[in-house]
Amino acid sequence: MIRNLTALFVIFAAVVLQTSVLPVHVATPFKPDLLLVAMVYIALRSSLGAGALTAWSLGLLKDVFSGLYLGLNAFTFLIIFLVIKSISDRLYAESGELFVVTVGAATLVCVTLDLILLVMLTSSPGIVYSMAADFLPHLLATAFAASLVTLLPVFSSPQEVL
Amino acid sequence: MDFFKKFGLVILAGAGILAALIFYSLNIPHKRNANFVERGVMMALSPVMKPAARMSGFFEDAWDNYFNLVGVRQENLRMRDEVKGLNARIVAAGETALANQRLQKLLDMKNSITIPTLSASVIGEDVSSWFRTLVIDRGSSDGIAEGMAVVAADGVVGQIVKVSPTTSRVLLLTDHTSGISATIQRSRARGVVKGKAEGLCSLEFTTREEDVKVGDMVITSGIGGVFLKGVPIGEVTMVKRGEYGIFQTVSIRPLVNIPHLEEVMVVLREAHD
Repeated sequence: MIRNLTALFVIFAAVVLQTSVLPVHVATPFKPDLLLVAMVYIALRSSLGAGALTAWSLGLLKDVFSGLYLGLNAFTFLIIFLVIKSISDRLYAESGELFVVTVGAATLVCVTLDLILLVMLTSSPGIVYSMAADFLPHLLATAFAASLVTLLPVFSSPQEVL
Repeated sequence: MDFFKKFGLVILAGAGILAALIFYSLNIPHKRNANFVERGVMMALSPVMKPAARMSGFFEDAWDNYFNLVGVRQENLRMRDEVKGLNARIVAAGETALANQRLQKLLDMKNSITIPTLSASVIGEDVSSWFRTLVIDRGSSDGIAEGMAVVAADGVVGQIVKVSPTTSRVLLLTDHTSGISATIQRSRARGVVKGKAEGLCSLEFTTREEDVKVGDMVITSGIGGVFLKGVPIGEVTMVKRGEYGIFQTVSIRPLVNIPHLEEVMVVLREAHD
């Protein structure tokens, strides 16, 4: 119960940080995707059922504060979660370096899937250029945020989060 | 002998007192000069007195300085607090002056619009880097609905897209999905302002024959019923006419400084009115 409440508080803090605090201090392309970092963390340390629902919910939460298309990130987060989950048993989940690399790969997949879905299903001319231009700083910022997560004491504990 | 034994002490005491009196009376004429006793004692004690005096002075200074330092430290802390407080007041005063300027400009814009408007503060931005939306602190409970126009002191900001009872999201004019019917103020050439990357916009569907020049002001045309006619959008920064094609490429820099936007106004008129 306390763990779930803590997780809820962390997610709430991440959303507030990303929508209201970071934009004041960080240039737009350097905004990290904190919810994606949380999702990867959950994917490496949770059960399939609860984790999948949480990953989808995190994506939905991101959609509430991003763009116009509700469900876009929910879908991509779920896909990424399932991919990570399918190989997480073979990964050393406590490794900080591996976590940062996984977050980097997840960012790349997230942007690619978002782009494919936007181009295929919506009318968003010019979005390709914007996403391509901002991708590298976004990737670096997200990887940096992930590296900060590895410094937290909770990262070293092997217990499941959900 | 018995006499001396009986009164010896008294006689000795009396003789001593007498000697002391004589000694005193003899020294009265030489009161300004040191006699051998004084000189001897002074000489004997001088090697000790000097360092003792110095040491005593040192300890006195140390004691006084210690107390003084305690006072100075406390005073220093108090003054630092005062400086902090004064600095905070200076910053707050500067911030108030800037807010006053911004709100004055916003009020000027509000007065120029005949339709009721509602002021709102920007409380958040889009969490992703490639969509351009803002979150404002007004929602459906304040009378806001999807499709309403949002303006700032300098011009058009965007359009309300998603409304909750307490907050709303604004689709900025720089977003890729945004489209605002516009006119070049000087030549009355028409087009649609669409969002582009890097916080810029483009004027689309403007035919090659239309007169568009760098520096032209782009304003809303009023077509579509979302924005009032004549609200400034931006300034033309680049015009390119290719050898082929029907339309020209026009780049626009929005007048509103979107990254530093703090207050906006929502025009309380729905698009279908």
